[in-house]
Amino acid sequence: MAKGELIFEAKNLVKHFGPTVALNGVDFKVYRGQITGLIGENGSGKSTITSIAAGMQPATSGEMFFKGKPHNPSTMIEGAELGIGMIVQEQGTVSGITVAQNIFLGEEERFKSGPFVSKRKMNKEAKKALDRIGFENVDPSVYIDRLNMQDRKLVEIAKTMYNNPEMLVVDETTTALSQQGRDIIYDIMKRMRDDNKAVVFISHDLEELMEVCDTLTVLRDGNIITTFDKDEYEENAIKAAMIGREMDGEYYRSDYGTPVSKEVVLKADNITTGSGMLMNFSMELHKGEILGVGGLSHCGMHELGRALFGEEKLLEGKVIDMATGDEITSARCALKHGYGYVSKNRDTEALVLTESIADNILAAGYDKIEKGIYLSPKKTKEYVNKQKEALSIKCASVKQEVQALSGGNKQKVVFGKWVGRDCDILILDCPTRGVDIGVKAAMYQLINDMRKRGKSIVMISEELPELIGMSDRLLILKDGQQTGELERRPDLDGNDVIDMMI
Amino acid sequence: MEKTISKEKTPSKLNAQKISSLAPIIGLVLVVVVFTILTQGQILQKQILMNMVKDGIVTALAAIGAVFVFGAGYFDMSMGGCVCFATVVGAMAGIATGSMTVIILVVFGISLVFGFLKGLFASFVNVPFFIFTIVLGSVMSSMVITILGTKSIIKLSDAKTELPKLDGQTTYPMLCLICLIVFFLVCVYLFKLNSLGSKVKNLGGNKIAAKQSGINSTAVTIAVFMLSSVGLGLASILTMLRTRTVGTGTAGSLGNDIMVALVLGGMPLSGGPKSKISAGLIGAATITFLNYGLQQMQMTAGTIQMVRGIVFIVVVFISSFSYRGKLLPR
Repeated sequence: MAKGELIFEAKNLVKHFGPTVALNGVDFKVYRGQITGLIGENGSGKSTITSIAAGMQPATSGEMFFKGKPHNPSTMIEGAELGIGMIVQEQGTVSGITVAQNIFLGEEERFKSGPFVSKRKMNKEAKKALDRIGFENVDPSVYIDRLNMQDRKLVEIAKTMYNNPEMLVVDETTTALSQQGRDIIYDIMKRMRDDNKAVVFISHDLEELMEVCDTLTVLRDGNIITTFDKDEYEENAIKAAMIGREMDGEYYRSDYGTPVSKEVVLKADNITTGSGMLMNFSMELHKGEILGVGGLSHCGMHELGRALFGEEKLLEGKVIDMATGDEITSARCALKHGYGYVSKNRDTEALVLTESIADNILAAGYDKIEKGIYLSPKKTKEYVNKQKEALSIKCASVKQEVQALSGGNKQKVVFGKWVGRDCDILILDCPTRGVDIGVKAAMYQLINDMRKRGKSIVMISEELPELIGMSDRLLILKDGQQTGELERRPDLDGNDVIDMMI
Repeated sequence: MEKTISKEKTPSKLNAQKISSLAPIIGLVLVVVVFTILTQGQILQKQILMNMVKDGIVTALAAIGAVFVFGAGYFDMSMGGCVCFATVVGAMAGIATGSMTVIILVVFGISLVFGFLKGLFASFVNVPFFIFTIVLGSVMSSMVITILGTKSIIKLSDAKTELPKLDGQTTYPMLCLICLIVFFLVCVYLFKLNSLGSKVKNLGGNKIAAKQSGINSTAVTIAVFMLSSVGLGLASILTMLRTRTVGTGTAGSLGNDIMVALVLGGMPLSGGPKSKISAGLIGAATITFLNYGLQQMQMTAGTIQMVRGIVFIVVVFISSFSYRGKLLPR
């Protein structure tokens, strides 16, 4: 397809999140009159590029140009004023106010009559905005809370489109919408293209991308791998570009065919979570097994981890500890049954950042050391130092604050919490996120050693090689349902897994 | 593969932390020196020192217990009101019965009930806790006015059987000191040699991480408020025994004094891992010396309040540099 005028260009764009490199000197171009698709695994950097372009966050370094001029918006409002509109997957409406007030939030000035804001004028203008996107059967004067999640998303879309963006970013929005909602977005994107404007469309649905987009750019590990034109679209080639890394046998387990015990230690029985991310989901974990759980974003795998640890509200079903027959209903209950949990949100859920390494490790182990009402400083020191040595935590002192550590050492502290308890069942959610290669290798070794000692592990991960390399059995989730189950074997590769994810 | 940039903390930063931990003691010494100079030594007269000790101990008892509450991340604005209510009701019960035992039971009973209720509210009700305590404090003060009716004060000397009088120069100060030492030692034990202190700091530092570590946040929350109530109960009884009159103005400035004391003692009001049990003791000494120093300088009550307010804001501002900026939002 002939390219239109260049509207947006990023040159050598770099973005760091602490120790993690999200974008690694990316050059990216968007042309008028085109729908440009972006695809990649979780953490590949696709949302990072567009969020920087829209002003949601700053780049670490690099340049951007929009309509030929240097582009460096400091806020999304500024980005919108410059002509970039963005629709994201998360909810962006404000409860407690009307549809019209949501659409014109922050822009009430334009409807002022004297000292008062004219609701009539605002509602009339809001109706135009909603009609423009084909969302006609909603009264702008109703409170947004009366709308369901999808309709609220359509209100957000109306808000974005009201500002007539020159470049529209649609970031994984369609997954939350029904076919009617998706059709509205497809229609908007096509109209933008026909009006010689630009669209950047991010989605995990390869079929959708191939249907709608004129070009498709693949990212991996913060780098642009390749760009396919529409006439070059070939599903396997796109998937290969997404995965494309070699598996390094040094990191992962090298054994195959190791028998797994038939004894079931943990069972999720037909669970439906309060968030709706898992629906009637069942699974079993065997003794001495590493059960991998993977999928693309919002597939429900993280909620599964929380549910297994009793941290997620269940509307239906149960999580059962098979050794005792007890239902796991809370983190304390899980702990009492010998469970441990490494959250993917390390800094916000797994650690107290301003606390010492020692106190963080101890947090889950008081019942192991305290005798009656006495917590022996000597036993405390021994307990902490044992984990520090076992995990080779690099620090000036165990009294050092955890926030001063590197990501890898922080993760070791989190592991130390649970290793210290000698948990029988460990639920690990993205256990190697934000850690360097050396620490990853050490963690895989640790996980494998635990497996050999008969511990049972659920490993939730967004990294395919990790799942394939470590798991005895791999469950794939999509939209809260299991779409596949794969057994460990030497020739298992990413293509087998990606098919089930997408 | 993700690239990472590693960083480790240097020993020099640990030394800086040690130095900053001495700041409350340095502050106390500074206040003593400054006001000794400004009052030309008058403040160190025996009687004034004795009064300072008596007042300071009452504040310290309340502040030491409050370390647990603030340490767990709760902001309690009702302490003054609760002390006033417990003291007045206790005094009325004592006057009616002529029994010191009844006074002690009523005061501690009311304090502990309030502590339990506050703990329950903090654990289960999804309303900003400090708002609840502001309302509670006001309600308690209003109830005192209602209970007292036309009187503004009541006197223990009106009891049908004479209640014990303690010698203000010997017995009473000894009793204060014994209460302080025992309560402080118990609190130090719970804070440092029992898992409660660590759990409090965990809860104040990150409630989610604490919960995921298996800490029973409800039990810890109720425990901290009950412990604080013991300190408040002791403060109530000692106040009553000293003045032998109670009324609407009893413990009027105690709530304020406790917060200022904690801040001057080096305690972050947002709680968490930096909480120190010593903050209650050192801070109480500092605020008491500050109060008496300003009084000795013949300042009006309004000016004293203003100076205290400025000191409070300055100390909070300074401590916010090194601490709050690094925290993730709750």
